[in-house]
Amino acid sequence: MNNPYLSIPMMVKKAYTETTDRMLRTLELIFQKEEDKKAFGFIPGQFCELSLFGKGEAPLGIASSPTENGSLKFTINRAGRVTTALHHIEEGEEIGVRGPLGNGYPINLFKGHNLLVVGGGFAFTTLRSLIAYLLEPQNRSGVKEVTLIYGARMPGLLLYKKELQEWSERDDMKVVVTVDVGDQNWKGKVGLVPNVLEETAPSSEDTYAVVCGPPVMIRFTLPKLKALQFPDERIYTSLERRMKCGIGKCGRCNIGHLYVCKDGPVFSLEQLNKLPREG
Amino acid sequence: MKLRLDKKDFHSFLRGLMVHYELFAPVQLGEGVSVYKKIGDPSEVALLPSNPQKPAKEVFFPQSETMFRYGKVGVQTEVTSTEKVERKRILLGPRPCDLKAVSLLDSVFAGKDYRDVYYVNKRNATTVIGMACDQPLSTCFCSSMDGGPFFREGSDLFLIDLGEAYLVEVLTEKGKAIETNEFLKEADTNDLELAREIEQKATKKAETSLSLEGIEGRLDRMVESPFWDQVGEKCIGCRICTYLCPTCHCFDIVDEDLNGKGERVRHWDSCLSSLYSQETSGHNPRPTNRERTRQRLMHKFNYFPKNVGRIACVGCGRCVLYCPADSDIRETIKEIQKFKCQSSNAK
Amino acid sequence: MIQERLRQKAKELLESKAVDLIVGFGEGSLPLRATPIFIRNPQEVNRLIWNSFCGHNLSTYLHKLKSLKVGLVVKGCDSRSAVALLLEKRFKADQLFLIGVPCQRMVDRRRVKRAVQGEILRVSAQGDELIVEGEDFKTTLNRKDFLYPSCQVCVHRMPLRADVLLGKPVEEFSLLETHPEIEEFLGKTPEERWDYFERETGRCIRCYACREACPMCYCTECFVDSSNPQWMEKGLSPSDLEFYHIVRAYHQTGRCSGCGACERACPMEIRLTYLTQKLNEDVKELFGFETGVVGDAFAPLSTYDMGDKQEFIK
Repeated sequence: MNNPYLSIPMMVKKAYTETTDRMLRTLELIFQKEEDKKAFGFIPGQFCELSLFGKGEAPLGIASSPTENGSLKFTINRAGRVTTALHHIEEGEEIGVRGPLGNGYPINLFKGHNLLVVGGGFAFTTLRSLIAYLLEPQNRSGVKEVTLIYGARMPGLLLYKKELQEWSERDDMKVVVTVDVGDQNWKGKVGLVPNVLEETAPSSEDTYAVVCGPPVMIRFTLPKLKALQFPDERIYTSLERRMKCGIGKCGRCNIGHLYVCKDGPVFSLEQLNKLPREG
Repeated sequence: MKLRLDKKDFHSFLRGLMVHYELFAPVQLGEGVSVYKKIGDPSEVALLPSNPQKPAKEVFFPQSETMFRYGKVGVQTEVTSTEKVERKRILLGPRPCDLKAVSLLDSVFAGKDYRDVYYVNKRNATTVIGMACDQPLSTCFCSSMDGGPFFREGSDLFLIDLGEAYLVEVLTEKGKAIETNEFLKEADTNDLELAREIEQKATKKAETSLSLEGIEGRLDRMVESPFWDQVGEKCIGCRICTYLCPTCHCFDIVDEDLNGKGERVRHWDSCLSSLYSQETSGHNPRPTNRERTRQRLMHKFNYFPKNVGRIACVGCGRCVLYCPADSDIRETIKEIQKFKCQSSNAK
Repeated sequence: MIQERLRQKAKELLESKAVDLIVGFGEGSLPLRATPIFIRNPQEVNRLIWNSFCGHNLSTYLHKLKSLKVGLVVKGCDSRSAVALLLEKRFKADQLFLIGVPCQRMVDRRRVKRAVQGEILRVSAQGDELIVEGEDFKTTLNRKDFLYPSCQVCVHRMPLRADVLLGKPVEEFSLLETHPEIEEFLGKTPEERWDYFERETGRCIRCYACREACPMCYCTECFVDSSNPQWMEKGLSPSDLEFYHIVRAYHQTGRCSGCGACERACPMEIRLTYLTQKLNEDVKELFGFETGVVGDAFAPLSTYDMGDKQEFIK
C-alpha cells in the first residue's frame, strides 16, 4: 500500500531569486528516480508539499507546466520556518516532494471558450503553469482568446519577467502588465489590478475568468468582474489555508465541508458562495 | 456462536491470548482515571463500569505517532517508515460508542482516497473484543446517534457481563480465531436468558428523547446566526472535548530533529486551539471562539454528514462529563433543533 | 439569601446600565455542577444561582471581554485573581464591577462521586448536609468532608476587594491550617518527591485545560506553542510533560490566587494545586506577599527594587 505521507526525493537543479526584495525564490527540481518521473503527472493548479527533513513541509503551487520536460518549478515566498529554509537550500541539495495534490484548474471546462487570467503578486505561480500549458502548440487551439492581466506592487516584484516578455510578443494573446507604483525605468502601465481590469474591460461573453492574488486584491477584483457580467459559475480562484497533511485527513484546511487541499485549492465562486464565509 | 468465560479464568484467558497477540486494554492510572495501554500483565487490565477518559481510537490513531525516521547518509537522506505492524493485536474492552466512532474514523483514514497506512495496518492487525454497556450513564446519549449500549458493530467478539462470568458472542471471522481458547465454554440457557434481560434493561435505560432529525439542514441556515456567539462565549478553548472525543481526528505533523537526524511525528491537535488555522502571514480565518466552536459543531453535525453520510458523534458523553465550563452538547443540540428558519438569517 | 441579593443586584446594574453584562453562575445540566452564564438582559437575572458548586474562577473570561463593562461575580479567590489582573494592566479598573460573595467553600464533585456506589442523579444541599441520590441509593454527606483541596486550605474566603459585598463577612482562617498533603510531601526525600511528581504528570495529555481555565495564563503565544525558539516538542515524552508543568507553576509564582481552577479542569485528575500551594506558601514566607490581598502591591517576581535581597547570589 502506498504511504501518502512519504515524499519522493528530488534534487535542486537551479535556484534563483525572482524579486528585488529577495522574498521570492524559484527552485527548479529534478526527479532522482526514473520511475518517480514517469509516475508524476499533474495538471496546472495542483500543488505539492515540499519536505525538508528537520524543518517540516510547506504546500506550494506548481509553477511549471506539465509539459516542461520532467522538472518542477516552485516559487517560494519567505514567510516562516520552512520557507526560510527553502530560501537557503543550495543547488545540488535534496528535497522531498509529495504530490501532485489538489484538484487543479478545470481545463476541460475552459476548452472552446475564452480565458481571462487575473493575477496579483506572488499568487501568480500556478497561473504561470496554466498559461504555459495552454500556450503549448498542441493545446493552444483548445481555448479561444486568452487575456492576461498581471500586477505587482513594484516593477522589481514582478515574477517570471522572461515569460511575461515572451507572452507579450505573441499575437494570439493579450497581455497587460501593471504595477501599483512605477520607477524611473518602468515604461508600462501603472495602476491597481482591479482598476486595470475595469479599464481593459474584457468581454465576459463565453469567457471563463481565473483570479489569483492576495485577499485584498480579490476583494476588489470580484465586484469588477461582476460589473463586467461574469457569472459566478465562470469565475475560478485558488485558495490558500494552513495545511499539514495535504490529503484531507488532518482536518485543518476545511471551508465548510470541503477541504482546500483535497477538494480545492481551485474553487468556482458559485461553490464558495454555498460555503460558510470564513476568513 | 455464544460462549461463556468465567471471571475466575479471565486472567488465564488473557495470558493465553498474549502468547499470540499484543494486548491493548484499559489501565487504571488514578482513582477515576483510565486509558488504553499495551498490557504487560493481565493484572493491569481494569474494566471499569465507565468509559476510560481517552477513547479507544488511541489504539489505532495514537496521540503521538512516529511516521518515519530520517538521517543523512552522505548527500542523500535515508527515510525509514514505521508503518509496519509486527504482531497481531487484541483491543479489549471498548464500548459500543467507541467502536462506532472507530468505524466513522475508518471512512476518514481507510477510505478510497489516500489510505492512511499507519491506521489501516493497525486496524487490519487488530481483533476487537468489545464490551456491552450494562450500566449506561444518564450522560450517555448513544441511542440518539444511531447507537446503543449493546450495539455490536465493530466487535469481533462481544462480551456481556453476567456477574460471575462473561457471555462471549463470536461475531466475525477474526473472532472465530479465538473461539478455540480452552477457557471458553459453551453458554447455557440461563446465561443466554440473563444476557437478554441485561440487554433489555440497559437499552431501556439508554433511551433518550434527544432528536437529531433535520439538524444538517438547520445548521446550513444557521451559519451566521448570533447563536454561535453564545456558544463561543462560555467556551474557554481548553480542547478537552476534542482530545477525549472518540470521533475527533485532527492532527498536526512536526519534525523532531537533532543535528540532521530525527523523526516526522504526528500528534493530536484541536480545531479549538487559537493557533490551529493561523497562517504564517498572521491571518487567521477562525480568530475567535465563536468561529472555532462553530467549526467543531458544524463539522460533527453538518460537514462530516455531507461528506460521509453519518453524524460524527456517538453520544459517549465525555464532552459533557469533562468540560470545565460545563457546556452540555445535548443542550446545544436542543437549542439548534429549536431554530426556525427565518429568511433574514439565510445567506 | 445570597442568591436573591445576587439577582437583585444584577438587575439593578443592568437596568441602570452600570454594566454591559453580568458574568455569574447558572444551573448546570448535571448534578453537582454550576455553569458560567452571561446575562445582558435584566429579565434574565433569575438564571443566576449561588450554591456549593460554583467553583469556576470567572476572572478567566475577562480577557475576552475587554471592550465591555463587566459585572463579575467573585468569591474570595476570584477577587484576588481579578485584582492581580488589574495590577498587570489587563484592563481598566472602571471597566470592572466586582460583585463579591463570601464563599462557603466549594464541594468537590469527584470526591462525592467516589463516596457513593453508582451514578449520582440528584443532589440537594441543606445547610451543611448534602443529600446525594442515585437510582438505588440515597446518602447524606457532610459537605465539610468533601471540599476541593484548594478550598480546604483557603484563608481568604472573603473577596478582599469588591464593589459590593452580598452577604455577611465570613471568618478568615489563619494559615495555621496548612495543607496536610504539603506536610506529608515535605517529609519525603527528593527521590520520593520526584517519583510523585513523575507519576502525577505522567497522566497528562497536554490538553492545556489547566492553562485555559487559569485567569493568569493569558499569553497570546504560550511557551509550549512557540516554534521560534522552540522550547519543547509536542508529544507525550515524560520530560516534556514535566517541563510544561514545572514552568507553568513557576510562571504563576506570586500571581496564583490558589483558586484551584486548574485542578478542577484537568480531566486526568492531576493534583496540580499541590505545586502552586507550595509556591504560594514560599512566596508568603520569602516576600511576605499574597496575591491580590493588598490592592496595589505588585507581585514580587514581576518587579524589582534596589532593596531586594541578594544573599542567594554567592
